[in-house]
Amino acid sequence: MDKLVENLRAVLGRTAVLSEPDELIVYECDGLPQHKHRPRAVVFPNSTDEVAEVLRTLAREGVTFSPRGAGTGLSGGALAVNQGVVIELARMRRLIKIDAENRFAVVETGMVNAKLSKAAAPFGLHYVPDPSSQMSCTIGGNLAENSGGIHCLKYGMTVDHVLAARVVLAGGEIVELGSDAGSTPGYDLLGVFVGSEGTFGIATEATLKLVPLPSAVRTLLAIFSDVDDASRAVSAIIAAGLVPAALEMMDGAIIRAVEASVFAAGIPLDAEAALLVELDGLEAGLDDEAERASSICREHGAQSVRCASDDEERKRLWAARKGAFGAMGRISPDTMLQDAVVPRSRLPEILAATYRIGSKYGLRVANVFHAGDGNLHPFLCFDARHPDEVLRVKEAGRELMETCVRAGGSITGEHGVGLDKSDYLPLIFSEDDMDAMLRVRAAFDPTGLCNPGKIIPTPRTCSEGSAVTRRRDAETQACGETESPGAHASLRASLREQAQSVRAHALNAGEPPALPALTPSHSFNAEEAQRLLAQIVGDENIYASLHACVSASLAVAPASAEEACEVLRLASSQGWKVVPAGGETWLDAGNPLGRADVVVSTRRLNRIIEHEPADLVARTESGVTLSALNNELARARQWLPVDPPDQGSASVGGVVATGMSGAQVLGYGSPRSYVIGMRVALADGRTIKAGGRVVKNVAGYDLCKLFTGSYGTLCLILELNFKLRPLPLYTTTVAACAPLDSLLRAARAILDARLLPVAVELLSSRAASRIGVSNAETHPILLVRFAGTHGTVTFQTEETVRLFHNEDAKLTSYASDDDESYWQKLSALPLQNENQLVWRANVLPSELQAFLNHAMNDDCANLHSSSSLWHAGVGDGRLRVISSSMDDAARAVASLESLRARARASAGSLVIESAPTSIKSAIDSWGMTGRTVPLMRRVKNQLDPANAFSPGRF
Amino acid sequence: MVSSKLAIALADEEDKLLACVHCGLCLEACPTYLHTGDENDSPRGRIYLMRAVEEGRLNPESNSFGAHINRCLGCRACEQACPAGVEYGQLLEAARSDLTKTERQRRGWTSRLIRFVLKHIWLHPARLRFAFTTTRVMRNIRLPKLLIRSKLARLISPRLEFALALLDSSRGDERRRDESVARPVSDSADSRALLFKGCVTEGLFARVNRACVRVLEANGCSVSSPKDQVCCGALHAHAGDLEGARTLARRNIDAFNDEAQAGIVTNAGGCGAMLLSYAHLLSDDAGYAERAREFAKRVRDISQQLAATGILEGASVSESVTTYDASCHLLYGQRASEAPLEMLGAIPDLKFVPLVGSEVCCGGAGVYNLLEPELSRRVLDEKLAHIKETGAQVLTTGNPGCHMQIGAGARLKGMEGVRVCHPVELLDESYERAGFYKSRSQESEARSQKG
Repeated sequence: MDKLVENLRAVLGRTAVLSEPDELIVYECDGLPQHKHRPRAVVFPNSTDEVAEVLRTLAREGVTFSPRGAGTGLSGGALAVNQGVVIELARMRRLIKIDAENRFAVVETGMVNAKLSKAAAPFGLHYVPDPSSQMSCTIGGNLAENSGGIHCLKYGMTVDHVLAARVVLAGGEIVELGSDAGSTPGYDLLGVFVGSEGTFGIATEATLKLVPLPSAVRTLLAIFSDVDDASRAVSAIIAAGLVPAALEMMDGAIIRAVEASVFAAGIPLDAEAALLVELDGLEAGLDDEAERASSICREHGAQSVRCASDDEERKRLWAARKGAFGAMGRISPDTMLQDAVVPRSRLPEILAATYRIGSKYGLRVANVFHAGDGNLHPFLCFDARHPDEVLRVKEAGRELMETCVRAGGSITGEHGVGLDKSDYLPLIFSEDDMDAMLRVRAAFDPTGLCNPGKIIPTPRTCSEGSAVTRRRDAETQACGETESPGAHASLRASLREQAQSVRAHALNAGEPPALPALTPSHSFNAEEAQRLLAQIVGDENIYASLHACVSASLAVAPASAEEACEVLRLASSQGWKVVPAGGETWLDAGNPLGRADVVVSTRRLNRIIEHEPADLVARTESGVTLSALNNELARARQWLPVDPPDQGSASVGGVVATGMSGAQVLGYGSPRSYVIGMRVALADGRTIKAGGRVVKNVAGYDLCKLFTGSYGTLCLILELNFKLRPLPLYTTTVAACAPLDSLLRAARAILDARLLPVAVELLSSRAASRIGVSNAETHPILLVRFAGTHGTVTFQTEETVRLFHNEDAKLTSYASDDDESYWQKLSALPLQNENQLVWRANVLPSELQAFLNHAMNDDCANLHSSSSLWHAGVGDGRLRVISSSMDDAARAVASLESLRARARASAGSLVIESAPTSIKSAIDSWGMTGRTVPLMRRVKNQLDPANAFSPGRF
Repeated sequence: MVSSKLAIALADEEDKLLACVHCGLCLEACPTYLHTGDENDSPRGRIYLMRAVEEGRLNPESNSFGAHINRCLGCRACEQACPAGVEYGQLLEAARSDLTKTERQRRGWTSRLIRFVLKHIWLHPARLRFAFTTTRVMRNIRLPKLLIRSKLARLISPRLEFALALLDSSRGDERRRDESVARPVSDSADSRALLFKGCVTEGLFARVNRACVRVLEANGCSVSSPKDQVCCGALHAHAGDLEGARTLARRNIDAFNDEAQAGIVTNAGGCGAMLLSYAHLLSDDAGYAERAREFAKRVRDISQQLAATGILEGASVSESVTTYDASCHLLYGQRASEAPLEMLGAIPDLKFVPLVGSEVCCGGAGVYNLLEPELSRRVLDEKLAHIKETGAQVLTTGNPGCHMQIGAGARLKGMEGVRVCHPVELLDESYERAGFYKSRSQESEARSQKG
């Protein structure tokens, strides 16, 4: 018998390994049976440790593997090519815990999506991402594919709902990405892991956000006699500033298939299109929104619009929508389900194109899709028993993809690339883009054993090897030259050879060494540098760096992306160390730089390139300030809803590079959720693209996540694509002044009351007076902000006032326009003094009070003092403390160490945002722990092998 | 496409095989997949195996095909989850029919014994009656109970012990004397029904048939029961003996021939679902195809019949907490989801607690519990755990197989306090208390007075 199978049986037991060829047949395909690869064996581990042991065994033998959940994926991602082993997680389906207070659940990743919401329902919570296969698909599969679902229009994709994951890497190493408290210092490895389609490692446990069930829902069914009318109505709804929880469309063919199935929902059979519009939120004002949506549909030719009368009817409508894929089995023996995204405003023309392409190739086309996201799912009907039809389907599929890409779209919105679409990836990504992706992959999986052959097209698979090879070069030389993939011609011999070579590297590769600390004693000649730089940007755009803590001699401000790349190429050839800069707010963030020669400022890259209100998307150069962008967007009543520390000069590039959010993170989320695409320059001056221009996109690895929060250590950000939100029509802020305990009690009540505050922020009395909130007493102040329509905001304000009845608090309400200035001043607060100590802690929300008490008693933090300056997010467990007087650095460091230990005990972290050098040189600014540190170094080594960007910052 | 001569029955179902688009929505509906996590034990996986056999890629004699097709409970819960409307139950029967033709399947003593019994006893009404009488006598003298109590049964084989527990659990509630008849509601009944008695029901649960007649009559329905009716053939079809099933089907169609097309009322989900499938079973039989379709249209469960005519409310029966477990074939085959609950709803003040996972199979599935004891036990254990959670003293279910499976499990798990019965039995008690019935002696008195 197969020796490997024996070894696997020894690890897992007899009943947990399938190896009979006949029993492997069903594992040769997933939800897209057009691709078939029979694995060598299937194993059913029962725990993280068993997964690790299996991966160790496979690494020893050099055998590739592919993780699999329920096998409902639609891109062939779970297939083990080249006789790999399938790691089936279906038996790891335990719910580990639900933390209702902090609103998260910890599950094994074999758990079925729908089961989690069911388990959370008694707590009034649910897990939002709801792909159509949610009755069967597993959380692990959702993580791998970054699944969407009908409600991701308003609530975001899987990546927006994952707080942490336990991941087993090839070779058996177990790493913890992210944290239950939601914010971790360092690269967003979790963000790039989600959506990596099982090629980075196997997630075995995940911490997932739970969200209160909406207190009110309206589901509208609008019937159209014309597909075109329906798709125009979609754009109109978005452009009108409504944010539906879901906005879905079915065409006539789909309606008739579904209505013939067990999921029939009573949609008229003669309809040519049906729109499902779901609005959720608070009861107050929801009917008005529903009425607005209905009238927009009617204006666009809807024959009828009806609102689901009860929860039963609503569920039936959604079941009909979700059953559409399977129901196609009634229409056609085989279907090719496509997945493409286009800008919403282009929907009508692309939809028409799908039918045109169908008739061109003589194939029936049916469409059912996430219209609100512009995410199309055309079905091409065929019969696989006729080889000629199979060919036509393939050609039609490709033409469809090309059409969508030409319209500014992406090749996949939620199904992933997998095996099915890797050939299409070059339609949207260049060789350089894909090379950068492969490098990140090699950082996670230096062995090349993890789900090979997926995402990046096969002829290039050899550079999976070259990326690994380069990584080794980087380790040995620290300053390796980058080579083009073509240089490794010898590796192109065959896939098998490649696998062997990758394996060989895997066996030799240990942990990369810490990055060498470079000293300023080198060959940087400022005069010579100035001369060379002037040839690129002109003398007038070179100036002396102002920041004392960055030892750089020169700063340059290129006028364009091309100039910036030219500067980087020069720097790379000269071996200079480069510090990217925007508004120069955080130039000294993190640990003191080992060396800095040239600051590259993006302040002249200040063009807003494009803003399409109907798409809720903007494209801008990175040097544009956040305030300038929002001023421009406000003209179309839209905005980029982030409030990072900002005095008005923060550039969007800087905001993204730091990834920092502010008090309103509670309501709007952090910048990472809004970056949908980027153009960045790597250290060698090559520009690469990540993401795209559509709001939903899972093509390739989401390097945007990696670059967001990378603090200028991986790349120079040149351009950014953001998704936007409609500006709220109305806002109010309630300010309450009372003793701390009383305020925290009330804050808790507000958060539990099913209201939707965008911020619940606690301010020390001095902080309150600094931002201009009148405060006669020495008590802290609680600021609660609501945003939305006049009706919902007024209702929530009244409710909040009511919740304060039992507390002896002094309340003041500030209405729209008036209240904005307080929040702006709050975001400027940490930036106002030179030479101050600013630190930020993130803990579980339930631990915030205890942590605050601990910090109160800390003589250095000294929060008790009336002069202390701090503010805290009660809903997200964030505390920022600003101290100005720093007499005794050693005492401050000891105090910070102890506070950091306390934060870690509450699943949190403590980051020093800014501090005098005396403190920074004595304590690590980030306090990263665990096995993610070497992984982070591997990422840095792969993308910036020469360590040219901001060396030493992390 | 069909390279294997053995894949004939499956080849006939090619369209149904192709209707499966492999979406996987059925996985979580499948009790065996939930327990093994192995896709070979899921509806999608089994269909894929069938397709492989049909395409000639997989030998139907292979170990894995036989094992995984046999491990299916046949509960058909997957049909309810399937958007493409794949008729899995019919595919399963075709696959099992192909399997019975293979050599491998013919070996093995349990399989041989079952085939022998189905062929030489079940197809012959007189022999079957005799067999059930003998069995009943053994049951009534408490032989099974004795053997279980004395641990002798387990010593011989746990499988035997479970078989005896099944038999023992079919005993009725002895406190009840089953002698009443319904008072005539009016001179002319509103409707007419033909009762399908079912072989196991009549053999071991005759009280359920009698309760059905009374309850129907109390609700203004005149009931008769054709003499020539035979077993529905479900056991044969599920075991892959489609020919045996067809023989029985034809006899039943003849027996229930009725000018007025009166409804055919069943009280066992397994029988009801089988009678419904006659239309498919005989679709290629020129002489019977049309008659089978007409026959199938007339079939309904007792609960569906009552829901259609309206249910008289009875009197309250007991303080006991009561729950309901749906028979898979009643739920998925006959699509009776609410109707059985309406029967219980007609009993005033019933302390009803819903059962979590009521829609999931109990693991009985005909003789599955004896053929696949390991997987059956895991499925049953979960069911028993959920029953325990409800705190119910009375569990109602509409199929004798489920009745015995849960009853046997309860006996062996120390849950003897749980009474298992058909919902119609409870309703019958409720009617009796409400005074809708009179005893047989009263009835004969009345008759003699008339005479």
